[in-house]
Amino acid sequence: MNAVAVSVFVFLFLAVSVIGFAAVRWRRADLSSLDEWGLGGRGFGTFIAWFLIGGDLYTAYTFIAVPATLYAGSAVGFFAVPYTIIVYPIVFLFLPRLWSVSHRHGYVTPADFVEGRYGSKTLSLAVALTGILATAPYIALQLVGIQVVLQVAGFGGTGAWYVKDLPLFIAFAILAAYTYSSGLRAPALIAFVKDVLIYVVILVAVIYLPHKLGGWDHIFTTVQSAFDKNNTENASAIAAGQASAKAIMPPSLLQWAYASLALGSALALFMYPHSVTGVLSTKNRGVIRRNAALLPAYSFLLGLLALLGFVAIAAGVTVAGNPPNPQLAVPQLFENEFPAWFAGVGYAAIAIGALVPAAIMSIAAANLFTRNVYRAFFRPDATPAEEARVSKIVSLLVKVGALVFVLALSKSFAINLQLLGGVWILQTFPAIVVGLYTRWFHRWAVLLGWAAGMIYGTWTAYDVASPTQAHFGGPLADFPGTTTKVYIAATAFLLNLIVTIVLTIVFRALKVSPGVDATSPSDYRADIGDTGVEPELDPRRPAHA
Amino acid sequence: MPQESAASTHRRSRLWVLIIIILIPPIVLPLWVPLYNKTDPTQWGFPFFFWFQFALILFSAVLTAGAYGLSRVADRRERRGRGDAQ
Repeated sequence: MNAVAVSVFVFLFLAVSVIGFAAVRWRRADLSSLDEWGLGGRGFGTFIAWFLIGGDLYTAYTFIAVPATLYAGSAVGFFAVPYTIIVYPIVFLFLPRLWSVSHRHGYVTPADFVEGRYGSKTLSLAVALTGILATAPYIALQLVGIQVVLQVAGFGGTGAWYVKDLPLFIAFAILAAYTYSSGLRAPALIAFVKDVLIYVVILVAVIYLPHKLGGWDHIFTTVQSAFDKNNTENASAIAAGQASAKAIMPPSLLQWAYASLALGSALALFMYPHSVTGVLSTKNRGVIRRNAALLPAYSFLLGLLALLGFVAIAAGVTVAGNPPNPQLAVPQLFENEFPAWFAGVGYAAIAIGALVPAAIMSIAAANLFTRNVYRAFFRPDATPAEEARVSKIVSLLVKVGALVFVLALSKSFAINLQLLGGVWILQTFPAIVVGLYTRWFHRWAVLLGWAAGMIYGTWTAYDVASPTQAHFGGPLADFPGTTTKVYIAATAFLLNLIVTIVLTIVFRALKVSPGVDATSPSDYRADIGDTGVEPELDPRRPAHA
Repeated sequence: MPQESAASTHRRSRLWVLIIIILIPPIVLPLWVPLYNKTDPTQWGFPFFFWFQFALILFSAVLTAGAYGLSRVADRRERRGRGDAQ
């Protein structure tokens, strides 16, 4: 443990905590309504939204896991870059429609929209539960991100489990407390600090380190020869399928895998409830479109960060653990190559980077529970104040659940579930995105298509073995009837669409009741200033009006 | 509510077709992996695979910004077409 690095880390962490608590006074409003607590009053402009959404989507776990895959010699992990390129044109087209219809009807969650559009609480419940299921392990992985930093920084150490994990407990208790009191305002303010730190650290890392190590040319050559050496030494194990060959670019057999991972993840990203929460907190449609053009700055950062996995190899970083844990590569690189005080800034950037998404995710999951389970099935006449109260408590429970998850269950279990989360959340795409354009899909067809995609995806993922795991070994499986590996979520999504289309034709022919659509075509184009779209919604107005 | 004139609706939907055409390359190019999954030509020490994707981020951001500009024009026309004072 280095005293300077640890002091800088603790100082930055505490400074951010103060900001989190002070956020309750920012854009002061009555936080006892869900629109204020859970959506920051729906008034964030381009600048705040850029930090908030960027801080929300590019999580600490991403910053640890993406370079880790490159460090481990799996170049397919670089799919994170095309993934975050494709996502913004898609966002540009469909999210303004979701914003408009949500503003006009007071929808807080994507499942609210599904209920209004299809007139089906069951379908809405399916969407809400999928969202909660997919988000919970994602929160747990943010904790894994903090844990990795704490481990390299030398916190915790040995002894009983509650001593070892005490720093994680403290970090999480602080996070839970200010999310409870300040709602979405806390991560929105903290996101400024987080992103400034991340940008500074990454820019310094990608300029200073290659300079120190002899340039990018030298780095790529070193990595290539390290991988070649590894592949020669382990040739027999690779041939027997007990190990994977390492490469700096995806082998041609995996090009479909690369493309399908990018497309599947891009379609799934804005189905996650926490992304929708970020988008609905903006003040008009223009903010979303402008951000679609501005958010790629983060993609550039992510690409540079991914390459730090190669920089770590060139710098001769070795990681602890048995088998070695590649997730330690980037924090270890900071530890080895940076002066102590700057290593502390680097740790803080990653740890604080975990707090922003963890806060938004817990708020989003809590909103889903409150609106689409509690209110829909138990208390249909819940007041906005009661909704906010329930959401606050659920956001605490979600976080405690994530903590238990990481400490009590194995870390690989959280990673497996997050992998499944991506497969699951994509299955809500037909209900939400197709629903934004047409009501042609029949509500029961959408529900059965969702079920087909969920079952197929889970079962296929369970069957994937890797050299280290018997089940949930990775996101790829053979496309049915071929030997081409593709992203399981994409195949499941295709099945989902086919089932939905075929059953829609059947149900329509049988004249099964399609349900009542509470929305009208003009709702999807409404902007601020139009009738029924107020700058800040009146919290006393009933939703679904 | 006053109805949009047929001519203005037509001009607006032509603009939206253009916006969608502009947004196609940022979606299709990253998925066309064989196009860029190669080492040469390298640039500043980066294999083609890497620098091409970084360039694609910039290219896509510029196109999306262009689409944003066009969408503002389309929105203004829509409001005018409806006879809004705003």
